[in-house]
Amino acid sequence: MNKKVLKLLPKLLIPAVIFALLIFPSCPAGTPEISSYTIADSTGDWGYPSPYAHYSRGPGYIRMSFIFETLVWKDASGFIPQLAEEWEYVAEENAYIFKLRDDVTWHDGEKFSAEDVVFTIEYVKNHPNPFVTLIGPSGVREAIAIDGYTVKLYLEQPYAPFLNDVAGTLPIIPKHIWEGVDDPKSLTGLEAVIGTGPYTLADYSKEHGTYLYKAYDDYYLGKPFVDEIKFVKISEEMIPAALKGGSVSAGDIPPEVVSEMEQAGLTVITAPVAWNAKLTINHRKEPMSSKQFRQALAYAIDREALVQITQRGYGIAGSPGMVPPTSDWYNPDTPQYEYDRAKTRGFLEGLGYELEDSYFTKDGEELELELIAEASFKEVGQFIKQQLEEAGIKVDFRTMEAKTVDAKVEAWDFDLSIYGHGSLYEPSILKRVIMGEGFNSTRYTSNEKLSQLLQAQLSEMDAEKRKELVFQIQEIYAEDLPALTLYYPKWYWAHDDNVNLFYTKDGLASGIPIPLNRLSFVK
Amino acid sequence: MHIDLKKEIKESGPGKIGIIILLLMIAVALLAPVLARYDPYQQSTASLLSPSWNHWLGTNHVGQDVWSRLVFGARTSLLVGFGVGILSTLLGTIFGVSAAMLGGLYEKVVMRIVDAFIVIPMVIIVILISAYIRPSILTLILLLSLLSWQGGARIMRAQALSLKERGHVAAARSFGAHHFYIAWRHIVPDLGPILLVDFIYSVRRAVFMEAGLAFLGITDPTVVSWGMMMRDALSFSYLNVWQWWLVPTGVALSLTIIGLTFVGHAAEPVIEPRLRGAEVA
Amino acid sequence: MFSKGNIVTYVIAFLFILALNFFLPRMMPGDPLMAIYGDEALIAMTPELKAELVERFALDQPLWQQLGAYFVTLFQGELGHSYYYNAPVLPVILGRLPWTLLLVGSSLVLSTILGIVLGIESGWRRGSKTDRSMLAGLMSLNGFPDFFLGMLLLIAFGVTLGIFPLAGALTPYSGLSGLALLLDILRHLFLPVAALTLAHLAGGYLLTRNTMITVLKEPYMLTAKAKGLSQRALKYRHAGRNSMLPVVTQTGIWIGRVVTGALFVELVFAYPGVGYLTYEALLARDYPIIQGVFLMVAVSVLVINFLIDLSYPKLDPRVSYAY
Repeated sequence: MNKKVLKLLPKLLIPAVIFALLIFPSCPAGTPEISSYTIADSTGDWGYPSPYAHYSRGPGYIRMSFIFETLVWKDASGFIPQLAEEWEYVAEENAYIFKLRDDVTWHDGEKFSAEDVVFTIEYVKNHPNPFVTLIGPSGVREAIAIDGYTVKLYLEQPYAPFLNDVAGTLPIIPKHIWEGVDDPKSLTGLEAVIGTGPYTLADYSKEHGTYLYKAYDDYYLGKPFVDEIKFVKISEEMIPAALKGGSVSAGDIPPEVVSEMEQAGLTVITAPVAWNAKLTINHRKEPMSSKQFRQALAYAIDREALVQITQRGYGIAGSPGMVPPTSDWYNPDTPQYEYDRAKTRGFLEGLGYELEDSYFTKDGEELELELIAEASFKEVGQFIKQQLEEAGIKVDFRTMEAKTVDAKVEAWDFDLSIYGHGSLYEPSILKRVIMGEGFNSTRYTSNEKLSQLLQAQLSEMDAEKRKELVFQIQEIYAEDLPALTLYYPKWYWAHDDNVNLFYTKDGLASGIPIPLNRLSFVK
Repeated sequence: MHIDLKKEIKESGPGKIGIIILLLMIAVALLAPVLARYDPYQQSTASLLSPSWNHWLGTNHVGQDVWSRLVFGARTSLLVGFGVGILSTLLGTIFGVSAAMLGGLYEKVVMRIVDAFIVIPMVIIVILISAYIRPSILTLILLLSLLSWQGGARIMRAQALSLKERGHVAAARSFGAHHFYIAWRHIVPDLGPILLVDFIYSVRRAVFMEAGLAFLGITDPTVVSWGMMMRDALSFSYLNVWQWWLVPTGVALSLTIIGLTFVGHAAEPVIEPRLRGAEVA
Repeated sequence: MFSKGNIVTYVIAFLFILALNFFLPRMMPGDPLMAIYGDEALIAMTPELKAELVERFALDQPLWQQLGAYFVTLFQGELGHSYYYNAPVLPVILGRLPWTLLLVGSSLVLSTILGIVLGIESGWRRGSKTDRSMLAGLMSLNGFPDFFLGMLLLIAFGVTLGIFPLAGALTPYSGLSGLALLLDILRHLFLPVAALTLAHLAGGYLLTRNTMITVLKEPYMLTAKAKGLSQRALKYRHAGRNSMLPVVTQTGIWIGRVVTGALFVELVFAYPGVGYLTYEALLARDYPIIQGVFLMVAVSVLVINFLIDLSYPKLDPRVSYAY
């Protein structure tokens, strides 16, 4: 053993070292540090990135999310721990228990603890936050700190999307700063941006629409490898040029330049469908009050062609069940109303209409409908008008002010209108836009079974059972058709691959379809 | 003094060019259905195409033929332009002449209102109103007319005042003629040339305004408008479509305004005779 | 008659503006509070806040009382609260104002000076080829709307040639200071100012040229020539100076035009001034901002015109009446 092995050792050493180097080529500690990363945005200003100061839209929340964190978070596959290491749902008590990390510090050095979580919940209950509601069905009845790093939240009612909409969205604020602040809007200085997140705010300019973030050295997951993040304002049309020129690292791009961007060496990613445009039908007015009539309309509109023409192919045809085909909640058996003008004719004739010259008439009167929409839908409206008229239904298409459209729809003073909304990742939106009040809902409550299902899915905590309910909802909704989903647009982002940007599963926080997850910058 | 407007324009080089351009635009507007090769509203999947034999100026983002939309756009611009021109010149004449004829408190009140409106920037008022009520073409014509008659009124009044003292008018008055009769028979005919100049400049301003408002996106988008076309083209400026979508539209718009400018300028010596001889063709 | 009458004019104009601001939201269908505060109000307002605002604006009272409440809030200097920007309107507008002043100021100065010089030279050579081609050229230029000029310049020099930046007033977070910063700002300012200046050049030019032509026929010019004064002295000191007068008075009206021209140019170049703010507010239907800008611009234009009217007699002692 001795002399021979000793002689072999040096000979073995070199291949061993080479072998080792080949096995472990990339040390995790060797992730190249990036000193600055610039993100382009066409709006620019989304408000001061503090929970009560940012504009109540997705991009506003995102800018705040680099500084403030939530109990749980999501990556590309689903929920991951954030401020809470573990969590469980106690069904009998309708409560969530969160076990918190003990190594988190606020940007000013203070330690984070369960006290902050309990405080945040109480504070937000008393001072509504535009993104999270803690009273009502999504509410928390009581929050208790069981020990320094464990909290128990008793929910008001069983609320299926709690983890996503509340635990994964509510930014935790420091008790030692916000305690005693009666008017949350009055806190506007540096203390309003003390959070636990990987970045601190170095600068914000309202009129230039710019933000500058610096990495937080003592972040509990390790200092972010991107030292500085900048948000700059560049108009939509100019973002592709800026990306190509290299002055910007990431930004949203119009679909036409996708291949151009890829040729320039950039990575292009697309969001799973998040938004839909609908044809709202006044189901309280003749003849739209007849289900058959509404279905006839659906057969007359070729949604595939609509996407090809008005979205230049960048989108997916709408599913009459509202839930997009790319979603986990999609029911593949939802009736689709394939474009078929013959069916339209059949249905209308069944309702007593006759085709005279090119239009349908009944009792001597020509069938004419009024379609109203906001100006941004002018192409879509024009398309629908064309399609319906080809099918024999006369359409008077008008665009008007958004407020006017909303007011008319609210007052049931319309025939057809076009409306769009997002938040399609979480089925909780279904109840809001089908049964809810206000012009952004179809206010359709005539089908008891549907209403009952919509109510039930909100409190069904078992995922499988909930899915079943959502499947049934799609079938009934598509059958009754109080509104017809027209299309889902596709959105694209391009970036230089220095940071791995990704689309968070089911949208960031409560469903924001923007690939700016702070996790990309950490690691 | 009767100044021959036709002579003024004919003798001016730019004036002739202006007339030609205007007549061309009017012809295009009138002949739009013949000149267009497609229905300007017909959408298709053939979007953002470069110019070809089928589509002389290519297609826009929803596959509509740009050339067809260009010629129909002329209708909108000229309709609004002439509509506002006629209405505002009419209002300006009515108020201006009546103020001069009736004098007294009426004149003071009218002229104060006139001055007040002249001072306020018209564009801003129209934008403000349009933010609340999206105007249709008709409403737009009405709105623009109501805000642009004041300039003409002032000129008409000044002119009417000086005409009032002329011999034939004084004679008519001494015969006991009514205000209206005097105005109609003696003053208005002599206002002819000035009316025309005011009209031309009103048209020009209206064409400009309609395009600008359409560009901002606050006019009726279901109507084909050059300003709206330019707005749509701008949002695709990262592609090279601007060459055949933006530029021809902008040039058409500019030519129309230039034509009106030239004609108006050539006719100006009518108001200010000392300028005559300034351009010898 | 002069000053008194004119004050009345401006008061009427001011009242009209206020009336417009007051009546428009109340003429819209639906809840006037939503019309006053815009879309965001729906999302952001609590019931308590709504009640407070209804009380403050007396929205449940007859129109006359509402008018009174409106005036009261206005004179308290409160231009309203923008729910989109989550801030009171006045600071938002004031924050953007410097850039617009820079843009409008530079263009106004440049176009006026250039216009006057060109007008004098052209009028001096009236009838000549130079004059005729300048006239035709500038009148043609005048036909180009400012937004079209802006777009052409942007596409030619910004997108295609890449000489000038594509948007904004300066390069954000560039870390530049002093001279480098100034140059950066000037680079961003160049194209927008060029567009705005070119678009409004003709106004000053035509007016100066016309006045120059009339002035040149005046007897005193003959005297000056007889005195043997140099060309330049004749042109600028005598004829020019008197030709400038109408331009000065017209400046008041032009400011209105250039400010609205700035709206379009800022939009094309995404220049962060009040014009761009207005456009963004239009898109978002942020009515408090739209009204706030409207009020400020209208009042500023009125004030400037008023001041010019006051100073006119001082500039030209011959004139004691408004044209």
